[in-house]
Amino acid sequence: MSGPRRPLDFGRWALLAWCAFSYVFLLSPLVIVLIGSLSGGEGDYAAVVFPPETLTLRWYGRIPSDQWQALGVSFVLGTVAALVAALIGIPAALGLVRSNIRGKFLMAAIFRAPLQIPAVVTGFAFLQLYYLILRGTGIELPGTFAGLLIGHVFIGIPFVVGAVTAVLQRFDTRLEEAALILGASRQRVMWRVTLPAILPGVYAGCLYAFMVSFADVPVSIFLTSSSTTTYPVALFFALENDFNPAILASASVVIIFSLAMLLVAQRLIGLDALLRSGGGGGRG
Amino acid sequence: MMKSFFGLLGVTAVIAGLQAETAIAQERFDGVTLRVGTFGGPWRDSQANIIAKKFEELGGTIEFVLGSPQANMARLIASQGTTPPIDMIEILDANLPVMIELDLLMPIDLSKVPNTQYLAPFQYDEMKVASWATQEGICYNPGAYAELGIDAPTRYQDLADPRLNARVIIPDINSGGGLANFAALAYAGGGDGENVAPAIEMIRGFGPVGFWMQGADLVTGMQTGDLLAGVSHAGWCIRAKNAGVDAAFVHPIINDDVVGVSKDGWLGIVKGTPNYDAAVWYVNEFIDSVFQSDFAAVSGVVPVNSISLGELANDPILASMMELDPAAIATQLRIDYSTVDIGTWSDAWNRGLTR
Amino acid sequence: MTARWHLLLIVPFVVVFALTAASQFVFIERSLYEQRSFGRVGTELTLINYANFLTDRFYLNILWNTVKVSALATFFTLLLTFPLAYVIARMRSRWASVLIAGVVVSTFVTIVIKVFGLRIIFSSNGAVNRMLISLGITDRPYTIIGTEEGVVIGLMHFTIGFGVLILYSVVQTIPRSLEFAAQVHGASRLRTFWRVILPISLPGLVAAALMIFNMCMGAFTSAALLGGGRVLTLPVLIQRTVMMETKFAFGGALAAILLVCVIAINLLSIFILTRMVSGRRKVLA
Repeated sequence: MSGPRRPLDFGRWALLAWCAFSYVFLLSPLVIVLIGSLSGGEGDYAAVVFPPETLTLRWYGRIPSDQWQALGVSFVLGTVAALVAALIGIPAALGLVRSNIRGKFLMAAIFRAPLQIPAVVTGFAFLQLYYLILRGTGIELPGTFAGLLIGHVFIGIPFVVGAVTAVLQRFDTRLEEAALILGASRQRVMWRVTLPAILPGVYAGCLYAFMVSFADVPVSIFLTSSSTTTYPVALFFALENDFNPAILASASVVIIFSLAMLLVAQRLIGLDALLRSGGGGGRG
Repeated sequence: MMKSFFGLLGVTAVIAGLQAETAIAQERFDGVTLRVGTFGGPWRDSQANIIAKKFEELGGTIEFVLGSPQANMARLIASQGTTPPIDMIEILDANLPVMIELDLLMPIDLSKVPNTQYLAPFQYDEMKVASWATQEGICYNPGAYAELGIDAPTRYQDLADPRLNARVIIPDINSGGGLANFAALAYAGGGDGENVAPAIEMIRGFGPVGFWMQGADLVTGMQTGDLLAGVSHAGWCIRAKNAGVDAAFVHPIINDDVVGVSKDGWLGIVKGTPNYDAAVWYVNEFIDSVFQSDFAAVSGVVPVNSISLGELANDPILASMMELDPAAIATQLRIDYSTVDIGTWSDAWNRGLTR
Repeated sequence: MTARWHLLLIVPFVVVFALTAASQFVFIERSLYEQRSFGRVGTELTLINYANFLTDRFYLNILWNTVKVSALATFFTLLLTFPLAYVIARMRSRWASVLIAGVVVSTFVTIVIKVFGLRIIFSSNGAVNRMLISLGITDRPYTIIGTEEGVVIGLMHFTIGFGVLILYSVVQTIPRSLEFAAQVHGASRLRTFWRVILPISLPGLVAAALMIFNMCMGAFTSAALLGGGRVLTLPVLIQRTVMMETKFAFGGALAAILLVCVIAINLLSIFILTRMVSGRRKVLA
């Protein structure tokens, strides 16, 4: 917190307490999962015992190999899907906020449509569409990585559009005007003024498009094949007729791994600097 | 690779000698890729370890198309008019009539499925061969029951004890054993597939804490002490026991003639498959006793092969929870879904039990 | 700026519209045939599935419930995330990125796993119930699974990460100088927040609210698991209709109704907000 300090600022403490509460709300289930993954128990099969009576790391060695492979699939899929969604979503957001064409609100609603279609409908509808394309053109999308990717880009686009729109609406167009007056070309203004300024929104949107892709079960379950099984789908299968600490261990690996990755990224890219400048860095 | 949660079953060596060696064993499948529609996780793994390995020795490869039977059925419906994406598919009893109605299946050449000799007559016909079963009933905590002075349950109705109020859980109609138990409750309450009102009444009378979507809900609930009893299949009760919970399983008395409830899984061959012979081979291997014993142990289901039933009887926990006598299994309640529209059940449930 | 911004819309709009329309077409086309049992549909075009929905209080009630829990979840998500996003965005220490990372990581874990954690926390001997009972707030253990509150909490877990990220990026675009100015003039921090930060971030807040609301209206997994089979929302009903009952025609009708309703709610809320705000300041232009 910054700004003039007061000796007894009630507002400040209330705000911090509220934030702490938000964190407890958000993270407490994860803490339980992390602890549960260490629960002991004998034999090849054990159910999750909470709180654990004995602690062991052995479940981490028992995460099935298909889950590790699926983790790789999900990582690549989420990254590519987020990038493609950004390529489509950023111009869409610019157009929506800046243009004055009629029916803009309806268009905005259509860009949000992929969110409102229940995921199970999206999955099945895309599968039907893919078979329609297969029958008509011979192009094979069912069960392929491309088919899976299209579905994930589809559910990712609204997040990029939404996040970039939110930032653009706050964006001070006088900055651009100033640059134009100073003689910069429109293109240059776009690349040097506008895009850097909306970068926090782009980061937020991409990150969320990645996260939605990384957590999706209902869409993927129709579009995957055994070689493109995504991580949450593999986890879903594992849960369908079993529930043991190895599943929690697997989830804990994701927690620890993603936390580590985010912190390393923060170190390497130096997002701190961005954060301080207030100019960007939604990435954390 | 996947460890059995029942512990080691042993005896497989003796059984190996009993395997029916037939002419099919000589058949080769060079270059054939058979697409098998089945569940993922441990369910797939045991098929990959046993059946797929054998198939590879015969020159072919198995590709698993993973998903719930409903999801795989949806795949077939979407693909109608093209080569189907699945050759051999796992089917739930409740979906069988729809699959036949929509013309998704083709007859199985049973002369090439000699392992049907280890199945009861009701477990196979021209369109389908039974693959596994779950035995549905009541899982309860005997220690807690004794403390409260409640007698061990024998029927679903016993869950209506006021002392169990809000400490009982029922499977949601849209979860694993949901339909089978819902129908069984209707029968137990004097109704039938046409008249499910008694089931709604009975569930209301239990005052259940909720309806489970995943069997893990039951296990966790019994382990934290929130739940004293729940309706599920025996497999989940065995998991609870393995987690150290004081748990016992009861096959409920439905009426004077029927005890216990069975939900059956089936295998079918997809119409239009280019790999018919290999699909028939797979069906035969699926009900082979070596696979059935391993699979049942890993997945917590009851095998259909009578040799495997005999093997599982050697495991004390298992034998205490599952009905393993083929004669008794044959008389358990089975729902004939070809005569009911499950849409009307679902509708009755939604209107009667949700808010 | 009067550049031809609308040209930028062409490609994205075509892509999204084509994918939405083409995929939904196959599904919704079926909804125009009568639904019969065992997955069969009639052969004549009809609106009977829609009529069945609209004339049945039971279905209308589910639609209303869906809107209600989604609106509540949106409100509480914003209530939790806006202050949090504000604090993180204004932080000068490197802890800011750690705090953001915490939010992101929580979203990486599927609700299927989180439900296990929630179940333990809210079990009768769990932390929450022990606290509630010892404080005398309740004498009966409180359970969240199978209640509307539970569904709201589940939806919040689904949307909260997005809420923090999007609002964080919104707050970042607000110059600090504005706050300093207000405080130099003697406004308290709370007053600055209400009178300066909140109004200025309203457009972003509205955009975030609509996104979160839309996410909730389409959410299946969190609603199904926390609803515990007792609370039916439209996506849960659609899943049952399509996957369990194999009623693709009726399911298609349900999906179409959900889509139309959400788009209508979006347009309506934007219209009302534009009206409300335009009196004070033209922010939503």
